[in-house]
Amino acid sequence: MNAPLPKRIWQWFTRTRVGRSIFRIGLPESNLEQSQVMVSSFLLHVQPVKVHRHSLRASYSLGLGLILLYLFLILTGTGVLLMFYYVPSTEKAYDIMKDLQYVVSAGLVIRNMHRWAGHLMVLFVLLHMCRVFYTGAYKRPREFNWVIGVGLFLLTLGLSFTGYLLPWDQLAFWAITVGTNIAGYAPVIGTKLKYLMLGGNVVGQEALTRFYALHVIVLPTVALLMVAVHLWRVRKDGGLSRPDEPGDIVQQIELKQLPTNKTYGLMELARGTTPQVGKNPEDEVFAWPHLVFRELLLFLLVTAVVLFLAIFWNAPLEELANPIHPPNPAKAPWYFLGLQELVSYSAFWGGVVVPGLLVTALMLLPYMDRQRKGVGRWFARERVVANTIFSVCLVIAVVLTIIGTSFRGPNWGWVVPWKQPPAITEGH
Amino acid sequence: MNHSIPDNKKDVSRRGFFQLTLGWLAGSFAVAASAAGAVRFLVPNVLFEPSLRFKAGKPDDYPDGSVTFMEDERIFLVRQGNTFRCLSAICTHLGCTVNRADHGYHCPCHGSVFDDQGAVKSGPAPRGLEWFQVTLSKDNRLLVDKNQRVAADKYLVL
Ligand code: HEM
Ligand code: FES
Repeated sequence: MNAPLPKRIWQWFTRTRVGRSIFRIGLPESNLEQSQVMVSSFLLHVQPVKVHRHSLRASYSLGLGLILLYLFLILTGTGVLLMFYYVPSTEKAYDIMKDLQYVVSAGLVIRNMHRWAGHLMVLFVLLHMCRVFYTGAYKRPREFNWVIGVGLFLLTLGLSFTGYLLPWDQLAFWAITVGTNIAGYAPVIGTKLKYLMLGGNVVGQEALTRFYALHVIVLPTVALLMVAVHLWRVRKDGGLSRPDEPGDIVQQIELKQLPTNKTYGLMELARGTTPQVGKNPEDEVFAWPHLVFRELLLFLLVTAVVLFLAIFWNAPLEELANPIHPPNPAKAPWYFLGLQELVSYSAFWGGVVVPGLLVTALMLLPYMDRQRKGVGRWFARERVVANTIFSVCLVIAVVLTIIGTSFRGPNWGWVVPWKQPPAITEGH
Repeated sequence: MNHSIPDNKKDVSRRGFFQLTLGWLAGSFAVAASAAGAVRFLVPNVLFEPSLRFKAGKPDDYPDGSVTFMEDERIFLVRQGNTFRCLSAICTHLGCTVNRADHGYHCPCHGSVFDDQGAVKSGPAPRGLEWFQVTLSKDNRLLVDKNQRVAADKYLVL
């Protein structure tokens, strides 16, 4: 009776005919309703009714995958808003960016949100990958979800890179010129690939049209589908990875070994460590409220952080793109600066061989690493070799990126960040 | 009713085999052809870029010993005595526009340095700058053709 007013309004509403028709179950009051609410709502039914305590531990997953999902949603929302003004024309695009900054109400904040969420997405995709690696979470049966993850990693880079060109300022123009020229170093298909990407020989209107189509429809759609498969598999692979527990009932039913004279409902065929198999009921808690509310909280947190960044820091917009005067130095987007640093030694090795090998190694990793132990714990002793190799690669990549970002100035010469001269645009 | 589901995998009749092979072939062909068509569609047939062949004015517009930068075409026109040559201003490293320096050329992006012959002196550029063919048109104008690459020691002599 003494529930707070919003709750009472909600309870009244879900008991009206209209309310019941929409929500079926009101706020769950019993264990039964806690399960019912999860399967009777479209958005909630994607998730299990009960989750393992281990999966809820923030110190295990760090919520990184969820953060990525929310960033993706924020990017979709702000991106669609930007589309109401943006025109992919070399003559108009830059002026529209200026309009968004100075004329359109809230245009500045929305553009900033889109830009910062995009950068954060690249950052968190790397962090999420590291967490999955260091917890050994890519091992059986999650091998393929790791491969899907590598696909999402590449898509995220692609989304960010194609978006980079759209403001049509100096930063955009030269980053894409440098970036597509790196692609041009690929053996055999390099030049053709570059021609196809740009729709010509130089970064111009055709390139802008192509990057726009990729950025607003092709890549987001593919990414959305792959995120859906990725999340579906997290659930079908038995929720988040966790260490084996002594109390677990280990049941490895291979589908083929089932007796064939019986008909099974499809939903009953539980394989490996699906949520129903191999767990102690005591280790499970209801997803409502334990999971759902954590998710909501994290969503609010992510939105708040992005909004905070967008209010206090403006996305850069340099001068109008000018094909004659490259800024000195011309830099690719920050996540490619490690590559650009390598490319400044050798374009072929830095631009083709190293990234090619890295991506291949990432894709094959879960099939090469046969060690079954050490899943579900951070930095497991059993994984010391794998973790060391990964860490070395990671440190090299980070160091190269930091050098490329902060320690390279005009003529790609050494500078120290605290004395960095402003980029010069040279004349002839 | 009985659609002869073979109860054992090894029973593939000759007919079944052909149907299977043809089916797979037709299917793969359809997929490959659509993919090829889509890729071909994306390769432009007409470019709206500045023409690769263009007139660079009268020979006398360029004083002896001059190196003239032409913005839109991104080239340098080099005159020495009565010889004319045309050098690409696009860095062979990652496509920035190079600047004229005291002796040679210099790329601002990652610091490649080229000598007067366009050859790499230092920096990450893998190759020297390109030289393009220069000819004289019927109306006595210099005619540059960026489709025709020539060696550094090819001159138009007037
Ligand atoms: C758009 C990018 C991505 C999104 C939205 C996404 C989303 C998620 C979410 C929500 C989870 C659930 C648990 C968690 O929060 O960690 C998850 C788990 C997982 N992700 Fe991702 N992910 C993305 C990219 C990646 C990448 C780049 C990889 C690796 C290369 C990857 C591999 C995995 C694996 C193997 C799991 C299962 C982990 C476990 O069971 O402990 N994901 N992902
Ligand atoms: S583009 Fe000229 S040195 Fe890199």
